[in-house]
Amino acid sequence: MKRLLSPVSGTLRTYLVDVGAQVKPDTEVALIESMKMEIPVLAEFSGRITALLADPSSMIEEGQPLLEIGV
Amino acid sequence: MSWDKELDEVARRRELALRMGGAEKVARQHASGKLTVRERIDALLDPGSFREVGTIAGSARYDGTELVDFTPANQIAGHGTIDARPVAIVGDDFTVRGGAADASIHEKLLYPERLAHDLRMPIIRLVDGTGGGGSVRTLESKGFTYVPALPGWHVLDANLTRVPVVGLALGSVAGLGAARVAASHYSLMVRDTAQIFAAGPPVVAHAGRQVTKEELGGSQLHARNGTVDDEVESEQLAFANTRRFLSYMPRSVYELPGRNPCADDPHRRDEMLLSIVPRDERKVYAMRPIVEAIVDRGSFFEIGRLWGRSVIGGLARFNGISCAVLASDPYHYGGAWTRTSSEKLARLVDLADTFHLPIVHLVDVPGFQIGVDAERAATIRAGVRAMSAIERSTVPWCTVLVRKCFGVAGAANRPAGRLSIRYAWPSGSWGSLPIAGGLEAAYRADLDAAANPQEMREQIEARLRAVTSPLRSAEKFSIEEIIDPRDTRRLVCEFADLALHALTPGPSTQPYRP
Repeated sequence: MKRLLSPVSGTLRTYLVDVGAQVKPDTEVALIESMKMEIPVLAEFSGRITALLADPSSMIEEGQPLLEIGV
Repeated sequence: MSWDKELDEVARRRELALRMGGAEKVARQHASGKLTVRERIDALLDPGSFREVGTIAGSARYDGTELVDFTPANQIAGHGTIDARPVAIVGDDFTVRGGAADASIHEKLLYPERLAHDLRMPIIRLVDGTGGGGSVRTLESKGFTYVPALPGWHVLDANLTRVPVVGLALGSVAGLGAARVAASHYSLMVRDTAQIFAAGPPVVAHAGRQVTKEELGGSQLHARNGTVDDEVESEQLAFANTRRFLSYMPRSVYELPGRNPCADDPHRRDEMLLSIVPRDERKVYAMRPIVEAIVDRGSFFEIGRLWGRSVIGGLARFNGISCAVLASDPYHYGGAWTRTSSEKLARLVDLADTFHLPIVHLVDVPGFQIGVDAERAATIRAGVRAMSAIERSTVPWCTVLVRKCFGVAGAANRPAGRLSIRYAWPSGSWGSLPIAGGLEAAYRADLDAAANPQEMREQIEARLRAVTSPLRSAEKFSIEEIIDPRDTRRLVCEFADLALHALTPGPSTQPYRP
């Protein structure tokens, strides 16, 4: 089980995957608005999403866990 | 009467030295997933090139005049070659007292540092354990305590201004060992088997916190905070990266990196470059494929991928010429300079200036990172340090404005006080402040007084947008040249050819600090 940490601080606009989705390291899993940009967050690992950990539209800190990936 | 007897004794002692800490300790080293120091040296250097110095240095036990036991010193030192170029090397032998000082001979630790310094060759430190650091055991053997000192550290420090220094953390390294890794131009740690800390878990537990060594100093932490440049998955990869790093470097600051053979056409054009930057300025794009497309094929060696991530940094060749490459990564704060990316940028600029590597800078910088986190992190302090590194550098620069270039960090796209080559892509967008955000600040009073602020805002924005074409900037020579992105490789290779003849060997006017 790996926790994907947010690479940036900003506002979590939306998750781009649901629990159960199979992802690869370059799969875009969430969209964060930061520095007036829409920044996609990449999965970094291969595996299946087991949990989404933050609320859409909430403020996210850099390093905050965004989701869990079963690897 | 020959000297065979004495030579036989030398051979016997050499044989004893090659046992290192003994079969049991060597087996334990292997069981923990680590090579022995001698295996490491063999794996790193050109085959058969290791010239050991101090082979039979160690502590001996005698019965009268007869040697009955011998433990080698726990540093192996000497020199050899990598790709037929000389390097000095020193490696800790963890199988002997965990690499601690009480089994070391200080002069032997310093010898390879002096060798590198005086004969002007790179030095590689294979650190495993306390790296020659102290142990309270010495209290009993010496019978007194002492004010801490680092005899010979001045040589290690001088080497940073003189020869390429590589520090590899290959086990749990603490204290002086950690310092010897960090005081380098390029440092690595091996994932899972290497940890770095000022003091290890037992000492930290005594201070009231129980942590594992991986939690305290694993690569999950230190390859992401800039303690080391990179993590790798195996010792073999650590050695491969070391060889590769040194391939871009001159032997010392007294030489220039020179030109390597280049099989890649310097005029090669990559069609992808024409459309990789989205027209929507809120959308990001991947910078690494741009870097890969313009350097000599396969020559980009990234340094520090996991820390300071809004700046991509590394070494590459253009038409065979070694250069440092800096590039913004829009995926991290839109390419804005954070505290750690500013530190990373300063470190790479200092490296380039020390070893005469021209600098190629691909810019998409909306400014410094803004917001509470950025202020809390003292971003501007690290930012101005990066700006000083840029300003004080003396090697030639080639800057390519790929997209955004705003604010103080944007202004540091090149050294301001001297000539540099600069190009912009047609996607270029620049200014003191971006219109979004900057408009509200500049027209606050007008907007507050307006009957319909939204309508007025749109009118002002339309007026401002009408004059933001990069072509208008080129009219005023604010940007020197707007280019077809597909020509970038050709133009940067041309720059590298020009820069090669503008490099001056010798120590940098800004002595390198780690």
